[in-house]
Parts: sequence; structure tokens; C-alpha cells
Amino acid sequence: MTDQAAPPTTDRPVIALRGIGKVFPGVIANADVDFDLRAGEIHALLGENGAGKSTLMNILTGIYRPDSGQILMDGAAKTFASPVEAIAAGIGMVHQHFKLVRAFSVAENVHLGWKDTPRLASKSVLEARTRALAERYGLAVRPEARIDELSAGEQQRVEILRVLARQARVLILDEPTAVLTPAEARTLFTALRAFKAAGNSVIFISHKLDEVLEISDRVTVLRGGRKVVTEPTANCTTTKLAQLMVGREMVLGGLREAMKPRTEPGRVVLALQKVSATDDRGRAGLIDADLPVRAGEILGIAGVAGNGQRELSEILTGIRKPTSGKVLIEGVPVDNPSPDIFIEVGVGHIPEDRIKSGIAPALSISDNAVLRAYAEPPIAQGVLFKPGAADKLAQQIADDAEVTIPSLSTPMRNLSGGNQQRLVARREMRIAKLAIIAAYPSRGLDVGAISTLLHYLIDLRNSGVAVVLISEELSELFDVTDRIAVMFKGRVMGLYETKDADLETIGLLMGGQTKATSASEAA
Amino acid sequence: MAIRFVRTPIVSSQRALTARIIGFVLALAIGAIVLGIAGFDPLHLGTQIIVKSLGSRFGLEDLGLLYTPLLLTGLAVTVMAKMGLWNIGADGQFYLGAFVTTAIGLFIKGPEPFMLILCFFAGAAGGALWILVPTLARAYAKVDEIITTLLLNFVALLLVYYVATGPWRDRVSGTTASTGRVPYKMPEFFGSLHWGFVIALVAPILFGLALRYTRWGYEVRLSGSNPDAAHYAGIPVRRRMISIMLLSGAIAGVAGMLEVAGTVHRLQGGISNNYGYLGVMVAVLARGSPIGVIAGAFLMALILNAGIILQTQGLTTSAVLALTGLMMLFTAVADQFAHYRIVRTQAATS
Ligand SMILES: Nc1ncnc2c1ncn2[C@@H]1O[C@H](COP(=O)(O)OP(=O)(O)OP(=O)(O)O)[C@@H](O)[C@H]1O
Ligand SMILES: [Mg+2]
Repeated sequence: MTDQAAPPTTDRPVIALRGIGKVFPGVIANADVDFDLRAGEIHALLGENGAGKSTLMNILTGIYRPDSGQILMDGAAKTFASPVEAIAAGIGMVHQHFKLVRAFSVAENVHLGWKDTPRLASKSVLEARTRALAERYGLAVRPEARIDELSAGEQQRVEILRVLARQARVLILDEPTAVLTPAEARTLFTALRAFKAAGNSVIFISHKLDEVLEISDRVTVLRGGRKVVTEPTANCTTTKLAQLMVGREMVLGGLREAMKPRTEPGRVVLALQKVSATDDRGRAGLIDADLPVRAGEILGIAGVAGNGQRELSEILTGIRKPTSGKVLIEGVPVDNPSPDIFIEVGVGHIPEDRIKSGIAPALSISDNAVLRAYAEPPIAQGVLFKPGAADKLAQQIADDAEVTIPSLSTPMRNLSGGNQQRLVARREMRIAKLAIIAAYPSRGLDVGAISTLLHYLIDLRNSGVAVVLISEELSELFDVTDRIAVMFKGRVMGLYETKDADLETIGLLMGGQTKATSASEAA
Repeated sequence: MAIRFVRTPIVSSQRALTARIIGFVLALAIGAIVLGIAGFDPLHLGTQIIVKSLGSRFGLEDLGLLYTPLLLTGLAVTVMAKMGLWNIGADGQFYLGAFVTTAIGLFIKGPEPFMLILCFFAGAAGGALWILVPTLARAYAKVDEIITTLLLNFVALLLVYYVATGPWRDRVSGTTASTGRVPYKMPEFFGSLHWGFVIALVAPILFGLALRYTRWGYEVRLSGSNPDAAHYAGIPVRRRMISIMLLSGAIAGVAGMLEVAGTVHRLQGGISNNYGYLGVMVAVLARGSPIGVIAGAFLMALILNAGIILQTQGLTTSAVLALTGLMMLFTAVADQFAHYRIVRTQAATS
């Protein structure tokens, strides 16, 4: 391990959870969980989707009250009635879905609801304070920027700064790297190591096992709401962790073997010809993109998030209108693209940001599950909508997605993050007769669920459906795609047969370089 | 041990109801004390209110006549709230419904049942017309509907005052600010209570059913809950928004039509009796639920009726208004308090 220089972790826990239990109507989210967090350690919390990780942390930070059990801090029993009290005691959490005020500036968000915020402070004072804090904790943020303008990585740094500014000793991160680019993840890890070196502690929830092995000192695994084990990370491997999470031997891989060999390239079912589009702020998002999407193949879109992938996926599903260029379905140009046209021909879409555009969190699971099928029999009959039929389909989709749900009338937001993603993915695959556009479909899924998802995408491909897989994980792309295109600054940089492509070429293209330019730079 | 108040974001309906009942009782108690100090006998007044509004046939009729327009204006506001929009202009749409009905009554002759049906649809159209401009402005230019609908109330009021004191004024009895009698009357079934009451009572139920059991209802729920997701689902969100706003206006228009054809039988300057604004309060009481409108409007009708009875007992209008305001204030405060729970904890060791 590289952490020899870190101060020795003491055995006396900063935080000890004893016998924590929490039941929601119809679900046991936590049962009899013991958990110790030591000073100066990064403690990873693992478990399948719905295992109860977020719930346990919500209990620790006072969002939920435990039904049973005790929270000890520095040996003394504590109850936090709200996150405000938890942070006052030095425990801060950055959630799976950020909770920043989007219309406010970074400085305003950092100072919101903080007792140290100076009364009647001017904008410039708040910004100066934010700048000082950012410097102190080594987190690069722009104090005057509005939250809507920021990338996921920048927003997360604001969230972390908010917590650190309040002098937290314990930082809880719920799937922090799910929305980060690899470079942003590196920056985060550096900051976490510095935080830990100062004697503080981190609880780190993630589904990315190699990250867990890299950053954590100890690992605790939850399964079905119960604690399975706490182990020093040094004793763990990815296989062992995966096995502990699901409780049985897991067969991962076998993806290539599942792909039927292609005899000839499939027909082009969707195509972009010189398509440009603006992003939400009216700037060029997609520039002169040419892209043929073929039946019976998986087309990977590699690239650092935020380089036009959102615009590309929205153009391919009719959500966004191009400013110039042509979109073709089965060779026929679409005059005035709109989502219903693409739904009609059978284009499924797993959107990049499910909370924002893929679901209505306040509506029931049933309403959300039938979003693609509500207008057709058996759910629709003439003008009627039949809730009974909707429930039936919703249950079927949930079963296929391997999501256990307490009741179909529960609001969608009560599902765990990964389970929401599973439902959306199944819902979209169901209607994908012609094509499916999957943007970061494995975000938030556990290892087992990712493998299942990729196998399903391969099944669709084998049956002749066109699959567009937008991802940042090069290994995932190299595992399952037939061809790979790279996006950089809104442009499609090249289209390669996966078997002829190599990691280096793709990696360089993602940074906007070709082999030739990088060679000349090196010289 | 320390005691703290902690805010919870989501409140169970049972909790909300308990809080409201407590708030209501407190408001009553404070009202009673103030009345006592002012030299009235609160117990006597209280009994009067109950006996006169619920204990007699006439009381019930009056209550029903107040209840009818409140059901509809409350529903109108709730319908639009389903899309995350506020209709502050139900008063104006009410006036338009009343105006159109009066126009038909004064100038078109025909068999009564047919004319009533005509009035019904014309009243609805009038209300819808009155919200048309705010609707288009909202749908195509994102102009805030709160301001536009509110402003049109004053225009409608002026229009009605103009015809009621000018061209259509009552030349027979000479009542000020009133038109002549509208000959078509909604049939009555309980004293002076007319079938409009039944229409008003059924409307929220129909709307609730439509939300749950029609495709349109599903689309409206999705569009109101997350417009981006609705767009993603291929739903024409703008068209749904337009249909909802026009429906809201139409419902308020029908309230105005029923008020003329069922209760007042002529167009008067103050015919809306602020029902449109009270509809906003009913919608707030109903917390966005169409069925809640039935309860919310009933409470509001009781309060209004109590106000009228108190006036007959010698209280001034402003005292009655103050009491009504007190009730509303306490309901709002109770709604907020329902979000808080008390926790006892060990005192922090810091
Ligand atoms: N407010 C709630 N109401 C009802 N059920 C809930 C609520 N919050 C969580 N649950 C349920 O509790 C279980 C545990 O959820 P939790 O969010 O803790 O899972 P998780 O381990 O964080 O999963 P993921 O990896 O998918 O984020 C799930 O079955 C979830 O549906
Ligand atoms: Mg979670």
C-alpha cells in the first residue's frame, strides 16, 4: 500500500453504529447493522442496488430516524434530528443526487444555511470567502458561477466544499464517482487523501470495485440490509468483494462470447448527416456530426462526458432539434423531429440524467414504469387509461429488472438510485424494436446488474436491433461494441471497428489528439 | 434533555388534518375571546351560527348556494395547479360566465331547457375565452400567468359594472348596478337550492376520475410532475398546458353561469362575491386534490355563511372579515406546523 506516510489509524472509532434497523412499508432497508469508522481512515461501503447503503448513511446524518439501534460519536450516544445537526457535529454528506440550489451561485450555495455566514454579506464578500475556502481545501471552484453552468464534477466539488467549510471531520460520499470523468475522479481522490492525512475520516460508497481497492483502508459489505463483513482492503480482491456482495459465486464476463459473429454490416437504421445542434445554453453542442447507426451492431460512443454526448443522444431520439443537417430513419429524412416519431418506430432511450428527464420522481412506480406504454392497449383503451393494466405491466417490468418493490403506488423517488436506473433500462429495452440509445446505462448499477444489462444489450443486438452505447468506461466499450466512435468538443472524431482499434488511439482522440499530433508534440 | 423542533419534508395526511383541526379550534377560541372582550356573547353567537346554518332548512339552502360557486372556483384553481400553474383570475372568468349568460337571457328567446344548456356552454366558453390570452402568453412566451390572470379580473369587473349600470341596467325596478331579470332559471330541488349544486359537486369527482382513468389525465399528471420527462415520453406538453388552462377558465365560467341562472337571476356589479379569490384559498386547503376541493369548499362556505349570520347579529363587515382572515391564517400556520415534530435528545456535550 502507498499509505505508509499517513498517520496511524487508531482503533477507537469516531463513529460507531450499533444494531441499526430501519423498515419502510414493505421493505427492510437496514437490519441490525454494526459499523465502525476510525479516525484517519477511508472506509468503503459496498452492496448491491437496494442493499441499504444510502439508507444507513441517511440515518447517520439525521435524515431518517432509525427504528432500532444507536449512534455513538466519540463513544457518546447521539441522535441527529436533521442533517444540519449532523454537520454541526462534524458529519457531512454529499448525496447520490446533488442537493444544490441550481439558480444560485457557487458562493451562495456554499454559504446557504450556515451559521458562520456573515449577516448582510455582499456578493463579493461571499465570493472572497468561498475563494479562500477553496484554496484551503484544494478544491478548484468558481465562486461566481451559477450551479446550472457547472459540470457534474464541479458541482460535486461545491458540495464537498460546503461540507468541509463547516469543519467536518467525517465526510460521507454516496457514489461520488458515478458522474465524474476519470480525470475528475483523480482530483477527488487527491483531495480525499489530503483530508484523511489530516486525521479525518471518509465513508465512501461506490459500485466501482477497483476504485474501492485503490482508495479505501477498510471495506464493509451490506447485503439485503444486513452487514456481511468488515475487512481491511488489503485482504480483498474485486472477485472476493463481488462475491461477498451477492452472496454467491458470480460469473462475470462472457460478453464477447455472447455476441453472434456478424456476417455483413447491418442496414443503416438511424443516420446523422452533417448535424449540428446547440446545447441548453445555446452554444454549439454538436458540430457537423456524421454517424450511421446500423442494425445488429453495438456502436460505442467514447469520450469525456460533456463533449456533445447529451446533444447526440437527444438528436438520435428526437428530443432536441438540429440547427442544421439531416436526421434519417431507415434512410428517410425526418422533417420535423420530435420524440413521438422515434418512439413510434421503436427507438428506446436510456437518458443521461434519469432524474431530470427519464422519470417523474414524485409519481408512482407504476406511472413511471408505463411511461412508454400508456398510450397503447392493454393500458390504453380509446381515451381510457387503465391503472390495473398499468400495474400489471409495471410489475412485469420490475420483475424483469430484478427490482423488488414494496408497492406499485410508492413514489419513484423512494427506490434506491440503482433500482431506478434498472427500471428505466428495462422499460426502454422493452420498446426498442429498431434501436436503443443508452447513455451511461451502467451508472449507479452494481457489478452484477451491469453484467446483466450488457448481456441484454447484446441480446438486442443479436436480434437485429441497433444499439448506441455512450460510455466513459473504455473497458466496457471494448468489451461489447462492434464499432467505436469518439466525441471531442462536439465533433465525432472517428469511427473504428472495435477489433482494429487500440486503447491508445481512442484515449488520445478523447483528449482531442491523434497519434500523429501527440508524437510530434512529444518530439 | 433538550427539546427541539425538527422539520420533516413530507407530512402524512392524517397529521396534516390533525394540525388543521387544532388550528381551527385555536382560531375559534381566539375569535371567541376577542368577541367576549368586545361585549358579545361568543357562546350565543356560536350557537346561532350552528343552528342557523346547519339546523334549519333555510340555513342549509343558503349554505348550499355558497358552496356551489366555491366548489367550482376551487376546482378551477386546483385544475391548473395540477400543471404547476396558478389561476388567480377565476374571479374574472366567473364574471365572464355570468356576463355571457345574462346576454343570452336578455336578448335570446327560446325554450328554457335548451336555453339553459346553451347558457352552460356559453358560460364555459366565456370563462375559457377570458383565460385565452394568459394561456397563449404562458404557452408561447412564458409570460407569468399569475399576473396576467389577475389583471384580467379588473377588466372583467369594469365590463360588468359598465353593462350593469349602462346599457343593460334594470329599467323596471331601478336597482343600482344590476341588469334586468334573466328569464331562464336552473330547476330547483331543495328549496332555493338548484341543480347547479349537483353539477358543482360532481365536477371535482369527474376531474379526479379523469386524471386517474384517462390517457389525457396521465399526460397531464406527467407533464405537471416533470415536463422534461413528459417531453421525453412524446407528450405535447404545450398542448396539454393549453387544454388545462382553458378547462380551468371554463370551470370558473360555469360557476358564473350558475350564479346567474341559479341563484341571483341577474347580473350585478359585485356578483362574484370574491368567489374567484376564495377559490385560491379552497385550492390551498385542498392541497392539490380534486376530492379535497369538496372538503375545502365546504369549510369555506361554512365560514362565509357564519360571517353572514354574524352580520345579522350586529357585527360589522370588517369584524367578520377579520374573523375569516383569522381562520385562514391559522389554517396556513397549522399546515406549516404539521411539518415540524418535537424531539427530545440528550443535550449536546459541546
Ligand atoms: N423513503 C423510502 N421509502 C420507502 N422505501 C425506501 C425509502 N428509501 C429507501 N427505500 C428502500 O430501501 C431499500 C434500500 O435503499 P437504499 O437507497 O438504501 O439502497 P442503496 O444500497 O443505496 O442502493 P443503490 O446502490 O441502488 O443506491 C430499497 O429497497 C429502497 O426501495
Ligand atoms: Mg444509494
